[in-house]
Amino acid sequence: MKGKKLQTLSFFLSPMIIMVGLFYLIPLIFTIYISFTKMKNWNTEKYLSEVVGFYNYQRLFHMFQHDPMIKAILLTTVIFVGITLIINVLGGLLLALGTFFVNESSASAIRLLWLLPRMSPIAVYSLVWYYFFHGSDIGTLNSILMKLGAISTPIPWGQMTPWGAWSVIIFVNGLVGVSFGMIVFTSSLNQIPKELVIAARVDGASAWQISRRILIPLTKWHFLYVLTWQFLSLLTTYPHLFLLVEWDLVNRDYGTTLALYVFNTAFGRGEQDQGLAAAAAVILSIIGILGGFVTLKVLQFERMIHEPRGDIE
Amino acid sequence: MMGMVGITLEEITKKFGNFTALNKINLKIEDKEFMALLGPSGSGKSTLLYTIAGIYKPSSGKIYFNDKDVTETPPKDRNVGLVFQNWALYPHMRVFKNIAFPLELKKSSRNEIEKKVREVAKMLHIDHLLDRYPWQLSGGQQQRVAIARALVKEPDVLLLDEPLSNLDALLRLEVRAELKRLQKELGITTIYVTHDQAEALAMADRIAIIREGKILQVGDPDEVYYKPMYKFVAGFLGSPPMNFIHAEVEGGNIRIYQSKISVPKQYREIIKRLEITEVLFGFRPHDAEIIRGEREGIKGEVYSFEPLGREQIVTIAVNSDVFVKVFAPEGEHFSFGEKVTIVPNEERVILFDKKTEKALEYFP
Repeated sequence: MKGKKLQTLSFFLSPMIIMVGLFYLIPLIFTIYISFTKMKNWNTEKYLSEVVGFYNYQRLFHMFQHDPMIKAILLTTVIFVGITLIINVLGGLLLALGTFFVNESSASAIRLLWLLPRMSPIAVYSLVWYYFFHGSDIGTLNSILMKLGAISTPIPWGQMTPWGAWSVIIFVNGLVGVSFGMIVFTSSLNQIPKELVIAARVDGASAWQISRRILIPLTKWHFLYVLTWQFLSLLTTYPHLFLLVEWDLVNRDYGTTLALYVFNTAFGRGEQDQGLAAAAAVILSIIGILGGFVTLKVLQFERMIHEPRGDIE
Repeated sequence: MMGMVGITLEEITKKFGNFTALNKINLKIEDKEFMALLGPSGSGKSTLLYTIAGIYKPSSGKIYFNDKDVTETPPKDRNVGLVFQNWALYPHMRVFKNIAFPLELKKSSRNEIEKKVREVAKMLHIDHLLDRYPWQLSGGQQQRVAIARALVKEPDVLLLDEPLSNLDALLRLEVRAELKRLQKELGITTIYVTHDQAEALAMADRIAIIREGKILQVGDPDEVYYKPMYKFVAGFLGSPPMNFIHAEVEGGNIRIYQSKISVPKQYREIIKRLEITEVLFGFRPHDAEIIRGEREGIKGEVYSFEPLGREQIVTIAVNSDVFVKVFAPEGEHFSFGEKVTIVPNEERVILFDKKTEKALEYFP
């Protein structure tokens, strides 16, 4: 009986175990290993077996303390993740609530509009904002402001540090992320029985009161879920940032987060320092795992897991 | 404590796109009256209730509370209490908060809220449950909380949308009696939507039977039960429903397949006047006797019989594909295929026009 159960279990779980093992666990172990080597410029023959202990971590912590560029990157990561997260989650919630109270056809149109950033290819989408925020007079924003007479010379928005660069990267990523929260919140709001809203309306509640007293408390779980998801994805995202920095739209130091730093260090131009990048990646992973773990505890994830109905024999 | 409120509906029509949910509804509900809106699902009865509550705006027509036109008045200013089929309790609020919610929206003082919530909770025997969450309550308790929440703001009108249909059968009977009593004690104008004819007959002062967005008949329970205006009304009230058999009028007699019986007294003149030749012959299962031997009546064969304890339902085949149900006393023995004669109680027979399905006595 026991053997049969094990057989069934392994049959159903093996695809997942293979996937996770192949694409997550093995790379993770490999990354951890590399972070303890002197690996450089992908010269595996020379460096792969050269274990240097905590050397890369020591270098990294030294840079955290003394290198102004790394300090800027860390600060940028905190600001970028923090503010974009708030925009993503609250923006998604506001949009979902807003469209909840308007008729279905205009609600769909609004939702579609907000999905556009997510649907367009990253390069195309980034290029739109590249031209919009461009620092010369060909930039859309600059030319509008100059035509209006608000400014006389073009402003290099993304090169103004730190807040100019931060604003641009937060704006561009914030716009992409809002749609995720919007979709999750919209579906969760639609699952609330409509009678709850009707009852509150008959009792005299305004749209604001209905949102605050009934709808938002009932989407608490979705809220925490979106928060966790977006936190983890913002912590590790870099494609948009990479393009904006490569195109010189935003300042290199204040437009780079830890995730982009890892990428640039491992695969970027000039000397590639995979050992250092791996160490930074490990630290980024630890932050992510800790963050995810804390929210799962707050979510009381165990409570969502039900005992299976019937026995698996 | 409650204000006097009678409700008048004038030519209420409600359309959703091309679909007409309510078609020129005229209805007057007296102050303190318990009015049941009875109809099958999709008949428009709930739409009518929500229109009275103000959640739907009628496409045309007027609604009056007393003499005041409230057609354009938003729900919150109509002072109505609404109870839903699924009770619609706020799952994240304790019972106290649920009941207090309407008062909080009215910005009542904390003391007043406390006092009124306890008062209404006591009246509905849920004062020991105030600290619980809805999911910790039984169906019957949740239903009481929903009624408490509707009553706590002392509404002029109580609107109930199938409030008992989520309860199990036994509890439903209990709550039915209690709700009727409560309504009379409070003297609150009440509109009660249901698809359960027994509920409507048991509780309401008057019943409005609705089908496809139209009111077919309004009357007190006796009237709609014994004097149904349409075949639909006759068939919808009572369980099992009234029997309808195709019949032909031949002089002073009615031919029902192989049988011939005389036209019931109350219809003799009408039939002559209207010169009707085809009718639907209607009688309730309780309003007929099963006779063995020769008597004027409808001949048939026993198809099946179902003892129900105090009585039994006998299904009789009048023709190969025409069946009627008749109640017989307990203890009487039947056998399958036995030849019997059904003798309807003449006074209780109702004849309907074949085409319009309207009862003949309601013809002008």
